[in-house]
Parts: sequence; C-alpha cells; structure tokens
Amino acid sequence: MNIGHLRRGLATATATALIGVLSFAAPALAQSNDKQPVFALISHAAPGDTFWDIERKGAEAAADKLGARLIYAHNPAASQQATLVDNVINQKVDGIALTLSHPDAMKSAVAKANRAGIPVIGLNSGLNEWKKTGVFAYIGQDPVVAGRAYGERLNTVGAKHVLCVNHEQGNVSLARRCEGIEKGFEGKTTILYVNGQDMTSVRSRILAKLQQDPSIDYIATLGSPFAMTSLRAVRMSGRQVEVTTFDLDERVVKAIQSGKIRWAVDQQPYLQGYLAIQSLWLKATNGNVIGGGQAVLTGPAFVTKDNVAQVAEFAARGTR
Amino acid sequence: MSETVSNTGPAATSSPAAASDNTAQQPQPASREPHRSMGQRLAGLIKRPEIGSIGGAILVFVLFYALAEPFRNLASFSTVLYQSAALGIPAVAVALLMIGGEFDLSAGVAVTASSLAASMFAAQITGNVWVGVGFALVLSLSIGALNGILLIKTGLHSFLVTLSTFLMLQGLNLAITKLVTGNVATGDISDLAGFDSAQSVFASYFNIFGMSISIMVFYWLAFVAVATWILLRTRVGNWIFAVGGQGDSARAVGVPLNKVKIGLFMGVGFAAWFVGMHLLFDYVTVQSGEGVGNELLYIAQAVVGGCLLTGGYGSAIGAAIGGFIFGMTTQGIIYAGWDPQWFMFFVGVMLLLATVFNAWIRRQVTRG
Amino acid sequence: MTQQKGHPLIRLTDVSKSFGPIDVLRGINLDVAAGEVCCVLGDNGAGKSTLINIIAGLHQHTSGRYTVDGHDVRFGSPREALDLGISAVYQHLALVPLLPVWRNFFLGSELTRGVWPFARLDKAQMKEITDQALQNMGIVVKDLEQPVGTLSGGQRQCVAIARAIHFGARVLILDEPTAALGVKQSGVVLKYISRAAQESGVGVVFITHNPHHAYMVGDSFAILSRGEIDLRARREELSVDDLIYRMAGGAELESLQHEMGR
Repeated sequence: MNIGHLRRGLATATATALIGVLSFAAPALAQSNDKQPVFALISHAAPGDTFWDIERKGAEAAADKLGARLIYAHNPAASQQATLVDNVINQKVDGIALTLSHPDAMKSAVAKANRAGIPVIGLNSGLNEWKKTGVFAYIGQDPVVAGRAYGERLNTVGAKHVLCVNHEQGNVSLARRCEGIEKGFEGKTTILYVNGQDMTSVRSRILAKLQQDPSIDYIATLGSPFAMTSLRAVRMSGRQVEVTTFDLDERVVKAIQSGKIRWAVDQQPYLQGYLAIQSLWLKATNGNVIGGGQAVLTGPAFVTKDNVAQVAEFAARGTR
Repeated sequence: MSETVSNTGPAATSSPAAASDNTAQQPQPASREPHRSMGQRLAGLIKRPEIGSIGGAILVFVLFYALAEPFRNLASFSTVLYQSAALGIPAVAVALLMIGGEFDLSAGVAVTASSLAASMFAAQITGNVWVGVGFALVLSLSIGALNGILLIKTGLHSFLVTLSTFLMLQGLNLAITKLVTGNVATGDISDLAGFDSAQSVFASYFNIFGMSISIMVFYWLAFVAVATWILLRTRVGNWIFAVGGQGDSARAVGVPLNKVKIGLFMGVGFAAWFVGMHLLFDYVTVQSGEGVGNELLYIAQAVVGGCLLTGGYGSAIGAAIGGFIFGMTTQGIIYAGWDPQWFMFFVGVMLLLATVFNAWIRRQVTRG
Repeated sequence: MTQQKGHPLIRLTDVSKSFGPIDVLRGINLDVAAGEVCCVLGDNGAGKSTLINIIAGLHQHTSGRYTVDGHDVRFGSPREALDLGISAVYQHLALVPLLPVWRNFFLGSELTRGVWPFARLDKAQMKEITDQALQNMGIVVKDLEQPVGTLSGGQRQCVAIARAIHFGARVLILDEPTAALGVKQSGVVLKYISRAAQESGVGVVFITHNPHHAYMVGDSFAILSRGEIDLRARREELSVDDLIYRMAGGAELESLQHEMGR
C-alpha cells in the first residue's frame, strides 16, 4: 500500500465522519424545535431518599416552566447508572443532567451522548472530576468541600470529638462527606455505619456508640431523617451531645428553630435540579454554557437558629 | 463379583427367613412406665430445637462481655434488648411460617408498607391515628393472605411468590407515598388525634433497675410466649408442624393445609403490622424505602434458632434467641470499638460462629 | 366396633374402570369380609392402584356395582369412604417423620381441653390412648415423644395402621406396606396385619407383589393381571408354590424359560 492511497483513504474517512456527525446533529436540532423537549435527570440515588426527592422536584419545576418533559431515573450502582444514560440516549432526549458520583464510570456514557449530539451537564457530586468526564458544565456542591466546611465549623464551636453517622456504607458521596469533616476538623472524627433502611438499627447503634465512647460531644448525620433519630438516641443516653446534620427537611427545620439541632448544611438540592434543566435548555436553544467553564456552586450554606426563619416556609412545602 | 450379584437377588424373596425372624420377635409384655424418669425428661429437653442457639447466645455473650467493657452495663443491655425485639417480633412469625414449610421474603418491606399506610390514611382521610392503625392492620393481614392464596393458587414455591410480592410492595411503598404526600417520606403526624395514646401503646418506655426498657421488649416476649403455646399446645400448632413436615400426609388425615398456610402468612402480616406501628409512633415519620433487607435477617434469626430451611422443625423460642444473638452482635461490635469499616464482616463472622456452634451442640445432644 | 367374623363388608361386582378410551379394570369381582385378609397381587401396571383408589373413594368406577354392607355406593371423595370406615394407608403418605409418635397418631383428630381460643391439646390423654392402642397391637415404642422418623420402617407402618383402626376403620386398604422394608421389618408388619384382622375384626385389603408375604397372612387371594382378575382363590384351595407359579405368570413364564434354553 502506498502513501497516496492511504491519504485518499483518510480523507474519505474524515468526510464520512463529518457527514455522520451532521446527520446525527440535524434530527436532534429539528426535534428540539418542533416537539416538546425532553430532558433526563439521572442520579445515583437509592430508592426513597429524601434529598433526591427535592432535587427531582427542582428539576421538574424547571421542566414545567419550559414546557418540557422530565425523565427521572436513578440507581446507586455505577454500572447501572451508566446503563440508564444509554437508555435515555436511545430515547433521543434533548439533554441529560447527570450526577458524577462515579466520574470514571460515567466517561464513556457521556462520550456516547456527546457523539449523539446530546448535551450533558454534571451536577451534585464531582467538583474535582467533572472536566475530565466530558460534561459541558457543572452545578453542585462537592461533598468533600461541604464536609471540610462542616469540620471547620466544628472547630469554631469548640467540638472535641464528632461522630459521623453514615447511613449507607459503600455510598461514595456519603463517604466523602465524612472524609471532608475529617479533613477540616481538628478534633477526633469517628465514623459509625448504620443501616439506613431500618430506623431501629440507626437508633440502637448510635446509642451503643454513645454508651461506648463518652468523649463524643457532637454528632454529624449525613441525611435529615437520621438527625431526628440521633436526637432520640442522645436523649436516651442522657448525655450532652449536640446534633448537626447535612441536608434539610421540615422536621429538621423545626428542630433547629427549637434549638435541638445546632445546624444543617444546605446544598440546595432544589436549586441544583432546577438550574441543571434550565441550563440544558439554554444550551440546546441558545448555546449558553452556565458558569462559562467554571463550576457553579450551590453550597455549602449553614442553616442555624439565626437564619432558619428564611427557609422554614419552603421546607414545609418540601422544596428546601 | 458374580457372588455379590447372586447374593442380592434372593434377599427380597426370602420370606421363610422373615417368618422365622417373626417368631423370634414376639412382642414384649407391655410394662412401660407412663411417667418419664428425670433422665428421660432431661434428654427430651436437650433435644429441643432451640438448644443449640442457647449455646450460641452464651458464646456471643461471653465473648463481648470479656472484650467490650461498656457491654457490661445494664443500660447497654437494654439497647441490645431493644434491637433484638425490633427484629425479633417478625422473626417469631417468620419462624412459625418456616416450620410450616414456607418462606416470606416480603416481610421486611411489609413492615414499612404497614406504617406508611397507617400514617397516610390517618393524615389524609380521617385525622385520627387509630383509624389509620386499624386500616394498616387490615392491609397487613390482607398482604399476608394474598401471599398465601397466591402460593396455593399458583402452586409455585413460596420463595418465588413472596419475592414477587416483595418487589411489588417495595415499588408500591415508593410510588404511593410519592403520589399521596408528594414526598418520599410521610409527614409529621404527631399532632393528629390519638397520637399520644397510640404512642403509649406501641412506643413507650419503662424504667426498670435504672434501665429504660422499650415496651417492644415486653411485646417481643409476649409474641414468643403465645407462639410457643400455639406451636406446642394447640391443634393448630400440631398442624403447623405437620404441613411443614409432610404436607401430603397431613392433608390425607384431614388437616386443612391451605387454611394453615394462609393463616401462617397472615401471622407474618400481623407481626409486620405490629412492628410497623412501633416504627411509626416511635420515629413519627417513615421513609418509603425502609425495610429492604430485613426479610433475610428474620429468616436468619429463625434458622440460627433451630428452624429447618425445609420446614417441619423449629421453635419460636429459638427464633427469639436468634434475634438476641443478632442484637448482641450488632451492638457488641460497637461496644467493642472494632473498626467500623469491618462492621458487616464482623456481623457475618459472628453469625457464622454462632450457627456452627449451634449445629455442633445439636449434634452432641442428639447423639447422646 | 368388632364385627362378627365372616360378615361381608365390601363387595365389588363386575366393576370396570376406563380412563377415556383405555380400559384399566374389566369385570372385577372381589369381596372382603370382617376379620379376613384379602390379598391382591399383581405386577406393576396390573391395575392395583386403580382398584384401591376406587375402594378408597379416590376414583369412581365406570360400571358394575360397589356395595358396602349390602348398600350400593359411589364415593365422591376419600372422606365419604372414611365415614363408612374404609381407610387407606399409603406407603409413603402415612406419617409426618419429624412429628412425635403421639402427635402423629392424633394428627387431624386432636383431643383438646378448654374452650376456644384457649382450647389446648389434651396431651396426657392423647399419650395414654396412643400408648394403649400401640400396646394392644403389640407395638413397642421406647418413647412416645420420639419423632416417627426415628422408628423403623416396619414400626412406622404399624403406627399408621393402628391409627386407622383406632379412628374407626372397618376396612383397611394397605398399599404395599412391605415393599420398602427389609426381611425383619416386613415380619413385624405382617404379624401386625394378621393380628389386626383377627383381634379387631377389620377386613384388610392387602396389596402386594410378594406372594410369600401374601401367603403368610392371606385368607383369600386375587391375582390381577392386565386389568382382570386372573385368579381368585381361598387359602385352602392352593399352596404357596401355586401362588408363586401363578403370580410369576404361570405358563407364560414356562414358555419364556424354554425359549431362553436354560
């Protein structure tokens, strides 16, 4: 085979590839102009998780406003989550919002979506990795960053020993929250795993830990329902232990108002979901890129007794 | 070679030998003492199904008593009892079902279904929690009956039937909660009528010897006592053993096999309702994804307590001890301060140890 | 309960049974009297199971007459047969192996004390009755609390038979009770069968393919071959060798032997 032959071959291949790209892009554009746009939100949530329910509500609100349809799918296993991306690519959606809890596992799925001309935005986890996954923008709060801020706040209140209650062993983003606390906090951090599917185990294991280690003076739970259960465990132990938590819900807001819970870290999941879908729409219709190449941060914001009044009514509605 | 072949042949038809053998074996004069001696009574006791699990429980107790200093406190003991009771009540019903020869994989999510139903019914329709409690009871018993009826109508193995209802219930819990409340967890019902009285029934605490003991511990003991009485002292108990041991034989002598099986599934439904009510009134809100995975713990407790996976053998007391072993293990690991990353591994090792020890003890006593 | 010996209990007259186009039984004549053992012999597939299923009420006969105490019957279920005292003891379906002896004995007919929901098993009485019933029949069990599965195969059959008699059986249908047993255990069961007939006065239909066993206990014999009665004789009319010869196929077997040149 001579060089000239090879060149001609290459040229043909490139042309074919170009035509291929065009033929892919054309129907995608036509679709978003003529029909109701369809967006997908694919998360690593476990079924029945309160936090992700709020995230979904934000995304749905944005879709409603835009006259679009939202497909929501979730699976905590990386491979399953990647399969869900394939699934919505096949459905020819107009944009995908994808959580990057397992950034490496998402790479090929994102590349496949990009080849199909479907824009993908990263959200929630993945602050440090989002660029290499091929998503065009990122909205969220990194769990490590949030955890670090949490740990630093523990320093300012004079905490000595914090118990980080992880309700799902093996969940990457939950583990990173505890990791972040450990990095930011100067005192001792102890991790306790509980079974988030069974509240009786959550309470008895926290109680057992409090009985076992008298030096614990702060509890950090990684989800709002577990903060309430921790309060019960603390009361039953008869000890002076402060409860703090990641994420908000109506009962946590009430408990902050009454001074039972010191603070909750809010990463504004509703905002994440809403902005992700809105940004996908702007990207598809106007070519906008949110953040202009930088990450857009939605947290961490601390909700304490001083500022809880501002979020109380929204929490009661189930959107904070 | 040819010799052995020719030897096996006539054996079956050598009836003259049988006849002579026959005469040599005249019935002995009946002089058996109707009251059993002390030794026989002891022998009877140690052949009980739960005997091995008692050994396992002692083993686990001694281990943690020696290794974990906080485990020796009374307050710790009440925490262990609470954890054992919460898992142990459904385990008792599951043990009865397993003695009757069936599985129930839907028991874990059935607990959650019950508390979700009570909470939503009370909040959305009546405003009184007791009506919700009653609605949940009807629902839980119906789920149990449905499991039983499906089992009988389809003729499939209960493993498959209840796996299907498990998956269906898991989906319904999530979907209906979202549909009714707009959230994935139920709302706060603590200001509804009847909440305080329901809480005192299902989720109150007593102070005994300076320990705060959950009422669940007493209910657990009551469940064990009633289940043991039913098993050993009533006709139904006899039928439960029989349908699990050899269903066709039981049916041939007039045991209503279908009714017994449906009843056993409804018993699991009742226990699921009971624990569901506790969860609701102690923890106030319920997340719709809860309960998954507990069904296997219930089965494990029953098996550790001496129930055969094949049915026909086991005890309610054994299931309770199995629950106690599990409660001691999960709490004891924390009291011992072992590396939390290894938590599940330790739980598995302890269960394996307890079960192997259990089997060893049972072999020892049945040999004697 | 005991009836006069020789009193006819059940009688089949010209009974036939077909499943669709297939005739399984043709023109069966058979009678069983109180206190007598009627042995039904036959090869596999001769129609023995169908015959006992008709007697026990599992199947209905297609034509002919089936009378109990002289009255025509046509059973819809085994329960109806049981109500007239006709009870079948199947080889593998008799007992629940893991249940104690006394619980097996009273299974389905438990005695209770007290009123519902507090009705409890009357353990003492049931154990006493079981003990008595087994002793009457000469069955020695070490401990009534021991699981039936720990008894020998022969003892198990005897317990099942004793149970049927205790609960009012007048006609016992025994389906190959010795088929799975060794020599010694078969002896236990055979002894018990003849004792049950003589002392309790029950009529026994003893299904077997072993002519030696049959001859030891039988008062009369019927050989079933391809759905028809090949031989019907009383004990006085033939020797054990006759029975073996006829059972083995008689002339047919001889010609086979001849053909094989041995």
